[in-house]
Amino acid sequence: MSLAFDEYGRPFIIIREQQAKERVKGIEALKSHILAAKTIANIMKSSLGPKGMDKMIVSQDGDVTVTNDGATILDNMQVDNQIGKLLVQLSKSQDDEVGDGTTGVVVLAGSLLEQAESLIEKGIHPCRISEGYEVACKIATEHLKSISDRIEFSKENCEPLIKTAMTCLGSKIVNRYHRQMAEISVRAVLSVADLDRKDVNLENIKMEGKEGGKLEDTQLIKGVIIDKGISHPQMPKTIKDAKICLLTCPFEPPKPKTKNSIEITNAEDFKRLGEIEQQYFIDMVEKVKATGANLILCQWGFDDEANHLLLQNGLPAVRWVGGLDLEKIAMATGGRIVARFEDVSADKLGHAGLVREIGFGTTQDRYLSIEECPNTSAVTIFVRGGNKMIVEEAKRSIHDALCVTRNLIRDNRIIYGGGSAEISAGIKISSKADEIATVEQYAVRAFADALDAIPLALAENSGLAPIETLAAIKAQQLKDNNPRLGVDCNARNTNDMKEQHVFDTLPGKTQQLLLANQVVKMVLKIDDVIKQGAESDE
Amino acid sequence: MSQMIRPPIVLLKEGTDTSQGLPQLISNINACCAIVDTVRTTLGPRGMDKLVYQSEKNVTISNDGATVMKLLDIVHPAARTLVDIAKSQDSEVGDGTTSVVVMTGEFLKAAKPFLEEGIHPQIIIRAFRSACALAKQKIKELSIDIKPENMREFLEKCASTAMNSKLIASHKEFFSKMVVDAVQLLDDNIDLDMVGIKKESGGGMEDTQFIAGAAFKRTFFYAGFEQQPKKIVNPKVLCLNVELELKAEKDNAEIRITDPSKYQSLVNAEWKLFFDKLEAIHASGANVILSRLAIGDLATQFFADKKIFCAGRVPEDDLRRVCRATGAAIQNTITNIIPSVIGTCDLFEENQVGSSRYNLFTGCTKTQTATIILRGGGEQFIDEAERSLHDSIMIVRRARKHRSVVAGGGATEMEVSKFLRDFSLSIDGKKQLLINSYAKALECIPRQIADNAGFDSTDILNQLRQKHAQGEKWFGVDILNEGICDTYQSAVWEPSLVKLNSIVAATEATCLILSVDETVQNKAAEAPHAGPQMTQQSRQALARGRGVQAMRGR
Repeated sequence: MSLAFDEYGRPFIIIREQQAKERVKGIEALKSHILAAKTIANIMKSSLGPKGMDKMIVSQDGDVTVTNDGATILDNMQVDNQIGKLLVQLSKSQDDEVGDGTTGVVVLAGSLLEQAESLIEKGIHPCRISEGYEVACKIATEHLKSISDRIEFSKENCEPLIKTAMTCLGSKIVNRYHRQMAEISVRAVLSVADLDRKDVNLENIKMEGKEGGKLEDTQLIKGVIIDKGISHPQMPKTIKDAKICLLTCPFEPPKPKTKNSIEITNAEDFKRLGEIEQQYFIDMVEKVKATGANLILCQWGFDDEANHLLLQNGLPAVRWVGGLDLEKIAMATGGRIVARFEDVSADKLGHAGLVREIGFGTTQDRYLSIEECPNTSAVTIFVRGGNKMIVEEAKRSIHDALCVTRNLIRDNRIIYGGGSAEISAGIKISSKADEIATVEQYAVRAFADALDAIPLALAENSGLAPIETLAAIKAQQLKDNNPRLGVDCNARNTNDMKEQHVFDTLPGKTQQLLLANQVVKMVLKIDDVIKQGAESDE
Repeated sequence: MSQMIRPPIVLLKEGTDTSQGLPQLISNINACCAIVDTVRTTLGPRGMDKLVYQSEKNVTISNDGATVMKLLDIVHPAARTLVDIAKSQDSEVGDGTTSVVVMTGEFLKAAKPFLEEGIHPQIIIRAFRSACALAKQKIKELSIDIKPENMREFLEKCASTAMNSKLIASHKEFFSKMVVDAVQLLDDNIDLDMVGIKKESGGGMEDTQFIAGAAFKRTFFYAGFEQQPKKIVNPKVLCLNVELELKAEKDNAEIRITDPSKYQSLVNAEWKLFFDKLEAIHASGANVILSRLAIGDLATQFFADKKIFCAGRVPEDDLRRVCRATGAAIQNTITNIIPSVIGTCDLFEENQVGSSRYNLFTGCTKTQTATIILRGGGEQFIDEAERSLHDSIMIVRRARKHRSVVAGGGATEMEVSKFLRDFSLSIDGKKQLLINSYAKALECIPRQIADNAGFDSTDILNQLRQKHAQGEKWFGVDILNEGICDTYQSAVWEPSLVKLNSIVAATEATCLILSVDETVQNKAAEAPHAGPQMTQQSRQALARGRGVQAMRGR
């Protein structure tokens, strides 16, 4: 900020470090914000849709991430600009709320701002633009509701869910096997879902990845996989009809928490102490054995002496199992976590049909898989893939598919994808726009134009002529009065998305519109940027 | 006598800066005006927001005058008074922070020509004070008392007026209902802490939930938690301030045993102490256990076995809200838990909100607390929404106590201005001119509202003056149709207290700045970041502000 002088020629210092502060005001500020937002949206545009491309991001430490997921790209890009950060947050909140459509929401916000820019140049007050957008957004969400379809599904008939999950996976790297991936995701969600309460806790789905193998080796395990091995090489590696004892106490003499010391005055006592310690181990193993357990999972460690004793007693054991893993195992096997040996009893054991240790190829890594559990409310998706990047990306893609399936369980309304919803909403809005008498009319119309950005990007990414394709579909939609017509990205020779089985969830789409609109409103409302000095020298 | 150069008399410490007289006064006014110019664009329904960078990580986007002023980090001593009045307006009524600052700026501007013409500041102060007293009286006359049966409608309108200029304006009906619901739940004391606002990013604004009860984010938990029940009908809630973990009872205790065989008994004794606690809780019949302190893994697993839900490290204000909602009382010990300290409600549930899981206590029949789970895209969006809700809650809270209302949109200011102008003609002397200019300064509010909306403010003001001269006392700026309208009819209502307070505060601040003619600035106090630690007294000394030391040319 520059200095101000009063009538007597004396400069003011009103604000701390005034000279170092920067200030951008009015239209200038708005324009620079819009430019920033547009730039980010343009980066994202090319990853939209089934033919969207991936981005490779190299972090400061040289870690490479290859992804198609909007939220991940933005998150890793380390955007410095404040308006850019708003867009990052935007895509993150879409991710948190819906889990899918993170790219679309940014593209939409960028396009809305682009339209707003030309309106501002016409001299329309930014607040009026955002009011107009608000009106248009309301029309759009109402319209989407009216063209939505309900899909019916049950635990037995999950075909519609799989179709929707497939749409979600369509743009991801896993799309070669997207039928299989979609099935895995849907089955996983259905097994942890509480259909009566319409609540799904995705935390009960564990995702474990391991590079090596093929993508199609990815499997759903009705149980838990932990990256631990059996503690002694001579213990059996496969246990059928496992009765699992879950311990959160170590195999060692208990230690009181209060500070204590044992004073030993003679050799006799010392010997006894040793015996007592020995006895502890024997007692512990006895107690566990008495319950009929044939596998011990322990949150803590135990030393070689105990390990040997366990081997002698034919009790395979696993040490250092993480607390949360233990909890999941407890849930899956119906066991109870036991905190001390006195409490070990037969009814607290968990059951699993098969527990086995798996090794991979030539590596030393060992995984323990606990399968065929009686209770399926905790499941694991075990992702395999050629390299770490693919495994990570597959994990993210499956996560998106899980979210979509969850949303459908909460609300079973769907909307057709391929840009058809946007085109249809755009047509509706522009027809409504003419009924508005005030300046907002322009903003409402601009909103309709902005919606075209999605089908345009879809068409462009699929190698079609964007404007021609869009014009043709728009005309067709109006002619047939069919809101299901969209961009035929996969070249299946039909524009009807119902036939192509390209579904999106209604809440997901509505959320995109609402969130994008919110951020746009926020950006449009800023007319003054005050920057602290020290950080401003970028 | 002698023509010897007299040695300078060193009266003040080296580096002390003084300046005085009229130039000082004018320079103070100019400084204040510069600040006012920064915030004035936020006024009114078409007001814009400010984006203030504090650091790379910390950015605020706000429309709230007090917030913006605070973040500007003003060092000029006179200009700092403006920050103080904005803050005091914020804590007193919670809204109208921008208008009070804009008004002060306008009063100062009005006084400037008089000062330059050589009128003594004290005369101006006296005239402004009397004008203020008259304005107060007029507002009291103007205000319309609300009958108790219209209370709800009245509160909702006040709440939505406060939200007009904010980011959430388009959802004001939705939120004003929520705000009024929340405030109505509270007892007569209206403790604001009892309205919890939780922020959860994601979702649309409409997804914001109002819970007539309590809600808090799931706390950190240990293994075993997922095996606890997540939905309990008619839960029995026990709130504790006890750590439930196996630990040394006394930190500095040490036990020595000489007989190794006694070792086990020691271990057992410790376990027994701990399990006795858990058994006592279990015996009390409670099935939702909340504690301000940690609940360890052993306790978690114990409760899971007994089908009891527990949450440790619940933040204190959340716990207090749960108590208010369910009627539970926080216990500091687990001995002797009597049924009366156990609270209840219709339903306890853990549910997904956005990406987090929340514990919700709903259907609390006698609740005196409410929780709003605020949703919206982006952290800054929610932060600003929270500030707006806070303003609106404050307004409703004040309005509930003082049941009178005036019309907004600049109508009240215009009416008071007209009244003062008429009055000024009835007196003679310098005061006449001064009160007249005070009256003119009041018009700054409607003018600014019109300016911010991009209207021709001169045109609008002329129309308003004419209407008010014809006795139409509620005419104000019509934002929707670029004109004027009866804002009382179009339900732009503000509690009269807000107006009273802002006029009084603005006049007081003006008088304070006008009464200063000398600044003594100690060098030490100029050291960076010395500001906040200053005592109230030294700050007042500094409030006699002035320009830059380095440039004073001496």
